[in-house]
Amino acid sequence: MRYVLFVPLILFVALAQVATAPYFPLLGVTANPLLVLLMCWAMVRGPKETMVLIPLAGIFKDLITTDPVGTSVLALLPIVPLAAVRERWPTESEFLPTLTAVAAASVSYHLLYMMVLTAVGDGPPWLQSPMRVILPAALFNALITPILYLPVRWATTLSEMVRPGLRVAG
Amino acid sequence: MRTLVWLLVVGLVALVGIVLSQLGALDPLKNGALTVASPLERGLRTAASPAADFLDNVADRQDLEEENRLLRQQIEELTAEIADLKEAQFTAADLAELAEVEESRPDDQFLVTRVIARDPSNLKERLAIDRGSSDGVSEGMVVMSEGGSLVGVISKALDDFAWVTLITDPNSNVNAMVLESRAQGVVSGSLHDGLSMDLIPQEAEVEPGDTVATSGLGGNFPQALLIGQVAAVRGEPQDMFKKAEVEPAASLSGLENVLVLTSFIATRLVSP
Repeated sequence: MRYVLFVPLILFVALAQVATAPYFPLLGVTANPLLVLLMCWAMVRGPKETMVLIPLAGIFKDLITTDPVGTSVLALLPIVPLAAVRERWPTESEFLPTLTAVAAASVSYHLLYMMVLTAVGDGPPWLQSPMRVILPAALFNALITPILYLPVRWATTLSEMVRPGLRVAG
Repeated sequence: MRTLVWLLVVGLVALVGIVLSQLGALDPLKNGALTVASPLERGLRTAASPAADFLDNVADRQDLEEENRLLRQQIEELTAEIADLKEAQFTAADLAELAEVEESRPDDQFLVTRVIARDPSNLKERLAIDRGSSDGVSEGMVVMSEGGSLVGVISKALDDFAWVTLITDPNSNVNAMVLESRAQGVVSGSLHDGLSMDLIPQEAEVEPGDTVATSGLGGNFPQALLIGQVAAVRGEPQDMFKKAEVEPAASLSGLENVLVLTSFIATRLVSP
């Protein structure tokens, strides 16, 4: 349950995203560091922990934005099955599947998000969205993946190195 | 199996949350979260603004040079125009009409509010402001920039905060008019494409540089609120309508304070 200690960090990333992401656009879109971090987390450490982190982060983000509470939770859900697929069919490289999973999660995030917006009567233009939002956002999120993947990888490696030592000492 | 159960349970809880949000049941929770988060958001935004400005300047340097050149040209033209207008002692018909509009709304009341956040989604153009229904802000109220041009409309009012849907939002439509030719149309937002004015009659004379303002039709906005300037006109002679790209007068990406027009009540017209 040590990962629960990282909950404040995840919430901080959600807050930082809401506060600053609109001021750093690329290709006309903003990045979604929360999605990227959760996807990296799920790919490196397995999907189990993200099953707790996704509802917490999603609800927190929705509380401080215009989205109905639950929208981000719903849009972030595909992270878990994507990581489960990777867990079932492990590959030699970890980074490239993570990059692909981030792009796929970004696409599914926007599709689910648009479905919710449409259902609540706030629907975006579906025909323009793939080229103007969905694909650029997937690319942008893939671009920032190394920035978030490396700390998660290092933290995981570090914790794996420390754990056996603690066992011996105990 | 465990993943499937989790997906179903969390998905269901999320759907319940969405329904409750739509019913307004979670508004107090949102208000509380924003109360806690807004000072932190402001701090983060302040900390990030030098980096954002730097990147913005790097990316926009060429655009800025071009914009600077155009602005100098515009200043020159406007100065000449002002001189002409002074000479004519403000007898021009459009100015007289604007003065009439101003006279017809002598009791306008504004509430100065601070922008505390922007919606981070790629599909909406919204701002959060630090005043809400407890300050007299209600849905449908018109929001203006400090310079007096149209920014958007209040789309959601919580107790202490409110969300403003900008005129550049893909779902925003404003009945508008080109002041020079009186041509009417609808100014709409889009996905990252700025503003466009549609449904302009083909015979109407619209040129780049013309001023676009609200027409007041429909009753959702007061008349003659500045929206922006025509940047380009599109359309073939065989088209039924012309389309114009409109450059917003207010710098919508850099707003820090906005004015809520509390004295104007939007009329929701219902077809007979």
